[in-house]
Amino acid sequence: MSTLTHGAELEALELELLLEGVRRQYGFDLRHYSRPLLLRRLRRHLREERLDTFSALQGRVLHDPEAMEGLLGALACPPEALFSDPAFLQAFRTRVVPVLRTWPSLRVWHAGCGSGEDTYALAILLMEEGLWGRCRLYASDISEGLLAEARTGVLPLPREEDVRNYQESGGRRALADYYTRDGNWAVLHPALRDGVFFTQHNLATDASFNEFQVILCRDTLLAFNRSLASRVHERLYESLSRFGFLCLGRKESVARAPHAAAYEELEDTGRVYRRSA
Amino acid sequence: MNPLGLLVVGAPRGAAAEVQTLLAALPRGLSVPVALALHRGAQELLVGPLGRRCPLPVVEPNDKEELEAGRVYLAPTGYHLLVDRDVVVLSREPSEHGQRPAIDPLFESAADTYGPAAAGLLFGGHEDGWAGLQALRERGGRAAVIGEGAPLEGIERVPLSEVKVWLARLSYAPRMKAQP
Repeated sequence: MSTLTHGAELEALELELLLEGVRRQYGFDLRHYSRPLLLRRLRRHLREERLDTFSALQGRVLHDPEAMEGLLGALACPPEALFSDPAFLQAFRTRVVPVLRTWPSLRVWHAGCGSGEDTYALAILLMEEGLWGRCRLYASDISEGLLAEARTGVLPLPREEDVRNYQESGGRRALADYYTRDGNWAVLHPALRDGVFFTQHNLATDASFNEFQVILCRDTLLAFNRSLASRVHERLYESLSRFGFLCLGRKESVARAPHAAAYEELEDTGRVYRRSA
Repeated sequence: MNPLGLLVVGAPRGAAAEVQTLLAALPRGLSVPVALALHRGAQELLVGPLGRRCPLPVVEPNDKEELEAGRVYLAPTGYHLLVDRDVVVLSREPSEHGQRPAIDPLFESAADTYGPAAAGLLFGGHEDGWAGLQALRERGGRAAVIGEGAPLEGIERVPLSEVKVWLARLSYAPRMKAQP
């Protein structure tokens, strides 16, 4: 057998050992993450850490919790800009908000919030639509590091494109009304920042923590393999109240989820589903 | 025997017309799935134009959709397209070489998952895709650049008009020596 094939097999073995080590030492089970993505992100992480092998990374991670946090950070998708998906937010405004208006109180869960850009975009939307007062917005992520960033409510200063996206999403004011400029940073209005409950939650292993009328889980399940994504869908279903809304990413579907039949897709909304049973 | 398991195709935006020609030349009963990463902008609609002359269905898959033989899977705008054992994997990782979808992620995942059963075709003219072609070769897969002339950086070149023959040859590849 050629040495190169050997190299690939060795890498696969090292990856198994790394994942097993991470699970036993920290309780994070990454074994059911989508393997091609995991490989790419970890290979890039190796290069950035100037390490040669997954074994070397394993050595570092097992002995240093900060290195573990670094690894989790490397697995997270880097943040997109505020209002990065205006089409979704526009659809949310026109198709979901009118229903939410008829409910006396709301619990919203943003699962996989990363460093909070999309969470704050949603918060701005809820504020503009007059729902902020009766709404509790929870945002969760596996990474404490990202959550700490999100809690600061400080984002890179929006660019022209972000302002355009905000307007396209149906924004009714000036985006600048929501933050104070500090150099190249935007410090979000305290009412926004303090109104979001950021909490650490591992979708892969933690139980549902409440019942919600709206769940956003957009492009978060891309990171998982089929069996894990299916288990997470089970949890999302349990966490969603009847007639509640589940918002997935533009190229995600409930088709393979355990409760697919209990959802109805709202037409022309990208992927907004309503739980009907 | 390493029967072909997957064909991956990568192309920069400038090669869109040639990609259309390639797709039109695919045999109706192709026994493997085709995964295609074509550089594209946010608003571009490609499934229609690309599918018009292709005898196989051209689709923009959802994440975790099954890869079926005889279908062409086009990377959706804003996502990288990767493959994992007969399953589509989409990713919102940042752009690579300024592109999302980019070619390297697709080719590298094909190399990792399919090894010698993967074949890759690259339309040159962009820096994206070469690392992926290299990965395919390192894992024993077949890799070629579309075009005329002698091998380029050790990689075989196939004229667009002969892709059909190249594919047919792959599907009936004789037993190779480097078998485990």
